[in-house]
Amino acid sequence: MEDYPEEMRSPPVSLVSVAGCPDLHQTISTHLHSLQPPINTLALPDLSKISLLLAPNPKDDQSSIPDSAASAGILKRDWLLKHRTKIPAVVAALLSSDCVSGDPAQWLQLCSDLDNLKTVIRARNIRLVLVVVHSHSKGEFDQIGNVFDIDDITEDRMLALRKRAEIDSKYFITFSQNDETELKQSLHRLGSIFGELANIYYRDEGRRIKARIEKKSCSAVELQVRYCFKASLVAVYAEFRRDWVEAIRFYEDAYHTLREMIGTSTRLPAIQRLIEIKTVAEQVHFKISTLLLHGGKIIEAITWFRQHNASYRKVIGPPEAVFLHWEWMSRQFLVFAELLETSSGAIQSISSLIAGTIEKSLTEWEFRPANYYQLAAKYLKEKRSYLESAVSLSETFNDSDNSTDSVVPSLFVGQFARLIEQGNAFLMQPLTDDEYIHYAISEGKRFQDSIEIIALLKKSYESFSNFKVQRMAALCGFQMASEYYVVGDFSSAKQLFDGIANLYRQEGWVSLLWEVLGYLRECSRKQGQLKDFIEYSLEMAALPVSSDTGGVQYSRKECNPAGSASIEQKELIHKEVFELISGELSLTSLESNADLRVTGVNQLHLEIDLVSPLRVVLLASVVFHEHIVKPGSSTLITLSLLSQLPLTVEVDQLEVQFNQSACNFVVNSQRTLLDSANDDQQSQRVEAAPSLSLSQNRWLRLTYDIKSDQSGKLECISVIAKMGPHFTICCRAESPASMGDLPLWKFEDRVEAYPTKDRALAFTGQKATQVEEPDPQVNLNIDASGPAFVGESFVIPVTVASKGHAVHSGELKINLVDVRGGGLFSPRETEPITLDSHHVQLLGITGPEGEDESNLGADNIKKIQESFGLVSVPFLNSGDSWSCKLEIKWHRPKPVMLYASLGYSPDGNDSTAHIVNIHKSLQIEGKTAILINHQFMLPFRNDPLLPSKIKPVPDSDQLVTLPLSETSILVVSAKNCSDVPLQLISISVESDDDIGKLCSVQNSGDQSDPEPLVPGEEFKKVFSVKPKMNVSKLMLGSVRIKWRRYAGIGDQPGSAASLVFTDQRLPDVNLELSPLVVSLECPPYAVLGDPFTYYIKVRNQTQLLQELKLSLADAQSFVLSGSHNDAIYVLPKSEQIVGYKLVPLASGMQQLPRFTVTSTRYSSAFQPSSGESTIFVFPCKPHFNMTDVGDRTIESLAAAAE
Amino acid sequence: MIVCVAVVGHQNNPLYIQSFTDADDALKLHHIVHCSLDVVDERVNNPKKSGSALNETFLGLLYPTENYKVYGYLTNTKVKFILVTTDLDVRDPDVRNFFRRFHAAYVDAVSNPFHVPGKKITSKTFAERVSNIVKSFGLNAAV
Repeated sequence: MEDYPEEMRSPPVSLVSVAGCPDLHQTISTHLHSLQPPINTLALPDLSKISLLLAPNPKDDQSSIPDSAASAGILKRDWLLKHRTKIPAVVAALLSSDCVSGDPAQWLQLCSDLDNLKTVIRARNIRLVLVVVHSHSKGEFDQIGNVFDIDDITEDRMLALRKRAEIDSKYFITFSQNDETELKQSLHRLGSIFGELANIYYRDEGRRIKARIEKKSCSAVELQVRYCFKASLVAVYAEFRRDWVEAIRFYEDAYHTLREMIGTSTRLPAIQRLIEIKTVAEQVHFKISTLLLHGGKIIEAITWFRQHNASYRKVIGPPEAVFLHWEWMSRQFLVFAELLETSSGAIQSISSLIAGTIEKSLTEWEFRPANYYQLAAKYLKEKRSYLESAVSLSETFNDSDNSTDSVVPSLFVGQFARLIEQGNAFLMQPLTDDEYIHYAISEGKRFQDSIEIIALLKKSYESFSNFKVQRMAALCGFQMASEYYVVGDFSSAKQLFDGIANLYRQEGWVSLLWEVLGYLRECSRKQGQLKDFIEYSLEMAALPVSSDTGGVQYSRKECNPAGSASIEQKELIHKEVFELISGELSLTSLESNADLRVTGVNQLHLEIDLVSPLRVVLLASVVFHEHIVKPGSSTLITLSLLSQLPLTVEVDQLEVQFNQSACNFVVNSQRTLLDSANDDQQSQRVEAAPSLSLSQNRWLRLTYDIKSDQSGKLECISVIAKMGPHFTICCRAESPASMGDLPLWKFEDRVEAYPTKDRALAFTGQKATQVEEPDPQVNLNIDASGPAFVGESFVIPVTVASKGHAVHSGELKINLVDVRGGGLFSPRETEPITLDSHHVQLLGITGPEGEDESNLGADNIKKIQESFGLVSVPFLNSGDSWSCKLEIKWHRPKPVMLYASLGYSPDGNDSTAHIVNIHKSLQIEGKTAILINHQFMLPFRNDPLLPSKIKPVPDSDQLVTLPLSETSILVVSAKNCSDVPLQLISISVESDDDIGKLCSVQNSGDQSDPEPLVPGEEFKKVFSVKPKMNVSKLMLGSVRIKWRRYAGIGDQPGSAASLVFTDQRLPDVNLELSPLVVSLECPPYAVLGDPFTYYIKVRNQTQLLQELKLSLADAQSFVLSGSHNDAIYVLPKSEQIVGYKLVPLASGMQQLPRFTVTSTRYSSAFQPSSGESTIFVFPCKPHFNMTDVGDRTIESLAAAAE
Repeated sequence: MIVCVAVVGHQNNPLYIQSFTDADDALKLHHIVHCSLDVVDERVNNPKKSGSALNETFLGLLYPTENYKVYGYLTNTKVKFILVTTDLDVRDPDVRNFFRRFHAAYVDAVSNPFHVPGKKITSKTFAERVSNIVKSFGLNAAV
């Protein structure tokens, strides 16, 4: 676009001329320029100078030259420029007032000047404005428009002046500059008048020409040229007036006429004629596009361009000038792209435009300047290729003469002529077509098209990349890179190609990738980059080029340097690479001009990782057959290699590397085994394989066993294949389970085999395995005999016995864990924090017999907490054993899990890696061994009245109430609820010191030789309790039972199992003074028919007289004497005895007559229980004919009953 | 005349690409097909711009190059069909009809139990059928 002259690129600006009064020119021109639309000013110092400017040159004047001359060309080259810089629309003659009112000589001069001016401008229809400028010194001013009231200049003078100038009074103005506002007003007036007149001028000119067109609208061919020219003139005049619509209309008119001229015009030699038409068409088109885009009519502009393109694309012209056509086409696209780019910022976003244009079948790309840049480049390429052939043609039969030197652009747009010097004058001589072509070729040779093409493509590439149109960008990049390649800038080319290759790889466009790789390969060949060359070659050779697309043969022109994609070509490349690798071939670099070889000095090492495109060349899958292996035991590992190279590849050596370098091994093929036998690889394991040849798409599977002594992860890192003496490929090992598909090949319809024969392994196999810890060869035993009992310190022996390993720095950890979980060991808040807070407590760990704590070395650890213990195990030789005892005490019945873990290192060094751990656990139940119960009883047939029994107080229900100062019986029973016999040593009631004063608790006796208590058996012991002092609540203390496990008859007590004390608190009791005590008295037995007396004693312990009612019911077994119902009064602190005489009538257990005592004061009745009122009646006086003892026993029994 | 048809898979990889020219411009056609995927992407990502119905599979004219017109079609499984023709005035119904028949052929080809989805279509029957469709496209256009 910059090639166009300024007057083409920008809209035309009206031109006016001011003459005279040069001191004002600056002010006026600045003002006019700032107008909207601006007006350019042509300043002339003097009126007489105007004739110089507009020197009548009748030959040049379009209006006066004959038609034949005019048809020499279509458009004059400088016409537009002339109108913009030379021919003003308006001439303003600035006359100073001094001049006007001066002496006659001055006046005459003025008049003659004016006349001259008039003749000059009339020929061109230029408008005239007369401006009388008032000088400062006068200090006078007048009203605007009131020009004749100037005392200086007489009215006559003014009139005469106007008449002489032959202008309307409207265009005769005065200009005063006395002060700021005046000046402004004057300028403003001047501006508006200029604008108006310029408009009139351009309109009239346009009309004039239009009229002429219409007048001569005949079909003469020559006149078409004229018509076309006029039409464009009209358009330009319309443009001057800023009438864009009309301008476009006329431009289009001109354009169409021009198009028609192609076939018809015969003015010039064929080639030059076409060139001229195209050049004019280009300019007209440019004008139209600019105007359309300026008006925001982007869709119309694009459609117009499309039309332009369509109508001229086929107009190639004669074959020797084809390159000119393509150059022209390229320029069209370039210019339109630039126009679109500059205007697309101003118009709204493209996307919104596209929305409405689908029906007009404009596509997204057509709104993108990048598209046009790319096409411009394409045509430029076309031009270059034609130019090259034209150049070679012209060189063959044209010896270069200097005739082209004098060829210059001629007067008309798109025409060239030879400039011939004739004396002082230059003469334009038309050229012949041959001469012109010669000239064009020599011009074309001067340009470097490649740089231009690259620049265009780069613009397009960047623009597409910015819009994230990556494929289009890739195409541009590809073209750009191949251009670089042609130019010889290999590094730039390579950089671009690399990026593009990535896209094609990703999307699997093999044919395109082949092309790019071919270029890359050649680039690296030319740059002498051996490694790159081999990489690209290998990738190319391994591309999935199928045989059936081989039918596509690329033409020589677009074929890449590596040839077309076919299997044969792949094989060629493959062979070449392997010859290089083996050192047979060398690579000749263009840059350093040195031979590059793969040699011992110049070793080549390729890395193939998981994302490398070279995975198709060599893929290594490694799988361990087992996920977990024991240390030292061997497992199988399968090594699978796959290559997609077209020919079979022989691998000389494979080196398999693991993270544990001790496991690395080398596989030699049989072929090379002999050669490398003398290598000093003694340290490494060497395997031999019958053949290590890889054929296309077939897995090479090798299975070896592998052994690791080190526990932990064993992972295969890489497989290094060595081919030839100096070439290695390091291939990252992949697990079959997580192996990605082969890039590119995954889209191919091919037989897919599994890396291992075992399908399951192929799906789940991993390239890593876990090596376990070595098996412990030490026994850890925990022995526990039966359940533990609450209260006893339960001893659990733990034995560490070595079977094979020596135990170094062993550590035994003990943990107690609640089986059910939960807050076993955490103290509950309500409980006091004592030892009891742990329901189960590890008391201690005692070493084996004879070993004292002090013997343990300082470094031995021993740490015991309530639920955790840590003890160090001394060094044990193989076969030795060591034991310790754990003492655990249960405070509550709970099952507990005991965990013991032994950690040791089998060898002497302290490295933590070799620690072997053994874990054992045992669940131990903690049980209650002895269940203690107690019961309070009153003495036989003695019943105190307890008021609380009568009126129960709510809160004292729970407590047992005992009568004060009466003897009560406490029965304590101990039941063995365990599974083993226990030996009960003693049962005692332990009371606090002060309780002794309050009450006396007496044992009924002691067991001297305790018998074992078998499971389920209950033992009872009787205590008598007599509260002495009146306190409301009495704490009786606790029952303590001493027991131990019964260890058999022969055992010494105390030796087998230690004594266990089980305490149970007795509940508190209420004490009450009973007001009345009723007791019965009757003999222990009766004899049939023998009368006996039955006493009812009532003791009043109060200070009050007690009234009692006594009633006695009849009993059928007895004859009774005494009143049935009676009321008795018991005096305070005294006792009343009521006696009844009874005669038994039946023998056996007989119910005594039931009596009821009712206390009126306490409103309570008492009736003895049936047990109390039962007596045995002998049929006759019993004869105990045994020993005295029997009597005594009975007596004592009777005494006891009393 | 149709010069090239292509089936393009999910990853924008060619599943089937066949050119029907005697001239040696297969590579150029591959480039054209590949670049047209950009337009397909754009149309698919900004569906409102196309102004077509929601389930419209025919994408219309993708882009006019200097000598070719490229049409696109997107199946409901997001497989793209691309058509490159040298006819400069092509009627939309013809192209639609072509794509419909092409789609049917494609569906039959991939319904083959031996065809692995996502792999290139190597069926000879498919190729034959496609070339028939391509030939008849020319006839239809002429009529």
